[in-house]
Amino acid sequence: MDAEGRILAASKFLLQAPPGEINDVLNDVRNIVSDDDVLQSGVLPALREYNLAQFITADVPGHQHQCIVSEAARLKPTEEVEGEEEEGDRFWDPRSRTSFRFDHLSLEASDPQSIEPEGESEPFRAALETATVAYLAAHFQSGVASVFSVAGNADQFIIQVVANKYNPANFWSGRWRSEYTVDLAERTLSGKILLNVHYYEQGNVQLETNHTISLALPPTITAESAAPSAPKVLALIETEEGKYQESLGDTYQEMGEKTFKGLRRALPMTRSKLDWDKVLGYKLGAELSSNKGGFAGAS
Amino acid sequence: MADLVDSMLDLMRRLPPTRVEENVNALVGMCPDYADDLLGSVDQPLKVMVDRATGREFLACDYNRDGESYRSPWSNEYDPPLEDGTVPSTKLRKLEITANEAFDTYREMYYEGGVSSVFLWDLDDGGFAGVVLLKKSLAPSSASEPSGSWDSIHVFEAAERGRQAHYKLTSTVMLQMVDRSTSKSDSVFPGKEKDEKNDVKRDGEVTLSGSMTRQTEQDWPLQDQTSHITNTGRMIEEMEIKMRNLLQEVYFGKTRDVVFDLRSLDDLEKARRQRELQKELVGFIKTR
Repeated sequence: MDAEGRILAASKFLLQAPPGEINDVLNDVRNIVSDDDVLQSGVLPALREYNLAQFITADVPGHQHQCIVSEAARLKPTEEVEGEEEEGDRFWDPRSRTSFRFDHLSLEASDPQSIEPEGESEPFRAALETATVAYLAAHFQSGVASVFSVAGNADQFIIQVVANKYNPANFWSGRWRSEYTVDLAERTLSGKILLNVHYYEQGNVQLETNHTISLALPPTITAESAAPSAPKVLALIETEEGKYQESLGDTYQEMGEKTFKGLRRALPMTRSKLDWDKVLGYKLGAELSSNKGGFAGAS
Repeated sequence: MADLVDSMLDLMRRLPPTRVEENVNALVGMCPDYADDLLGSVDQPLKVMVDRATGREFLACDYNRDGESYRSPWSNEYDPPLEDGTVPSTKLRKLEITANEAFDTYREMYYEGGVSSVFLWDLDDGGFAGVVLLKKSLAPSSASEPSGSWDSIHVFEAAERGRQAHYKLTSTVMLQMVDRSTSKSDSVFPGKEKDEKNDVKRDGEVTLSGSMTRQTEQDWPLQDQTSHITNTGRMIEEMEIKMRNLLQEVYFGKTRDVVFDLRSLDDLEKARRQRELQKELVGFIKTR
C-alpha cells in the first residue's frame, strides 16, 4: 500500500475514535504507519473533520468558559484574509465575542481577537444563549454549549450542546451531542441528538445512537419578543430531550427482554441446562433403533 | 515486532465492533507482513455458507479454511472443492460428526434457529483441538422491528491424561442489536402530549454492539472419546451463560448508566436548591 493509501486508512481509523480516545487511536496509528513526517501532515484533515463533527471544546483565550469548535463556529474567510486559510481556519465564541485560531492536534486556541456580532440577530441570539446556559446547568453535569447566529440569515440560529465524560481508569467514556436550528422565518425547530458510549474493560462494547427531531414553533415565539421567546425554545428542547432519554431507557428494556432473547435464550424452554449425557444418548439410541429395529421396544 | 501487533490489537479494542471486518481488512492492507498475526488474534463475524452436497448451512472462519476454500462439517468437503484439503484423521472425524450433532441440539435449545458448526483438528503432541461456532441473526420483518446478530466462537484444546482430560477454552462472543423504536416515541407516552406538538417528527436508530473474550482451563473425567463432547459441551454452555449475562447486565447496563450520567433527567438546579433549602431548615431547627 502506498503512502497515500496508508494515510487514507489511518484517517478512517481516526474518524471512528470513541469519545476521549483520539490520542490513543492516534498513538496506535502512529506506530502502525511508522512514518511521522507523512502521518503528521497527512492526518491533519481527518483530525480537523473529527474535531468539528464531535463538537470538540476549547478554552476561550482570556476567558473562564469553554466554547464549541464546530462548523457553525467557523469564521468564513473574508476576501482579505483568504491567503491565511492554509495556516488553519479561525473560529469564534459569540459569548465573549472572541475569535481565535485553533490547533487541531494540540486542541489549543490561540491568537484571540475581538469580533463584533451582526447587530440584527444579536439580541435574539444572546437571549437564546442565556436560556441555553440555564438549560445546560439544569441537565448536564459537565456540558458546554454555544449558540451561533448564521451569517447572512438573521432568522436562523444554531444551538449546540456537548457533554463528555471520560473515565479511562475504569475503561469507559461517553459523549452527548445535540444541535438545533431555530428558524424564525420558516417557524421551525429542527435538530438531532447523537450519543456515543464506549465501555472497554476486558471487552469492547459501544452504544451509538442518532435521533432527529423537527417541529413547528408555537406562535408565541417571535423575533421581536426575544427575552420571553428564548426560554420557550429551550423548554421545547428540554421536553424533547427528556422524552428521548426516557424512550432510550425503554429501548434498553426492550432489547434486554426481547431482542436478546430472540438471539439467544438465557436458558432453554425447559428452564434447565442441557443434560449432555442425554444429548448424546438420544443420538445413540436413535442409531441403535434404526440399526437393530427390534431392540427399540425392548427397553 | 510484537509492538506493532499490540498497537493493532489496541486499535481494534477501541474502534466500533460493528466495523471490525472493514478495519481488519484495512490493517492487513497496511501491514501485509502481519496479516497472519492479526487474523489469528482478532475474531470476526462468521460467514454462513451452504454445503453443496447436503444443502445444509455451515459456518466459515479461519479454522476451517484451507487457501480460499472452507470445509463443511456435514459432508467433510471443501467449497470451492479442494483435492488435497486438510481433513481430520478418521478417528477424529468420527468424533467431529457426533460433536456436530450434539451442538446442533444445543443450538436448537438455546438459539431456536441459527447455524452451528464444529471443527476438530489433530495436534502434534497427540491431543486435539477444536472450535465450536454458533451464529444467529434476527432479520426484522419491518423497519421498526429490531434487528441483531450473535456470533460465538469457542476454541479449545484437549489433552488426555489417563482417565482425565485437561481443557483450555477461549470463548469470544460478538453481539449487535439495532433498534428503531425511539422513532415512534409518541405512542410510548400516550396522553402526555395532546397539545400543540402534534406535528413533531422524530426518527432515529440505537445500535448496541460488543465483543468480549474469556478463557478457562478445566479438568474433566474421561470415560471414552464421546466424553470430550459432554465435557466441552458443559464448559461451553456454562461459558455462554456467563458471557450472555455479563453482556446484558454489566456491559450494556454500563452504557445505559453512562447516558444517564451525561444528561440528568431531573433538574439538577432544582435538586441543588432543594438540598440548600433542607440544609437551611436543619440549621434553623438546630439554632432554635
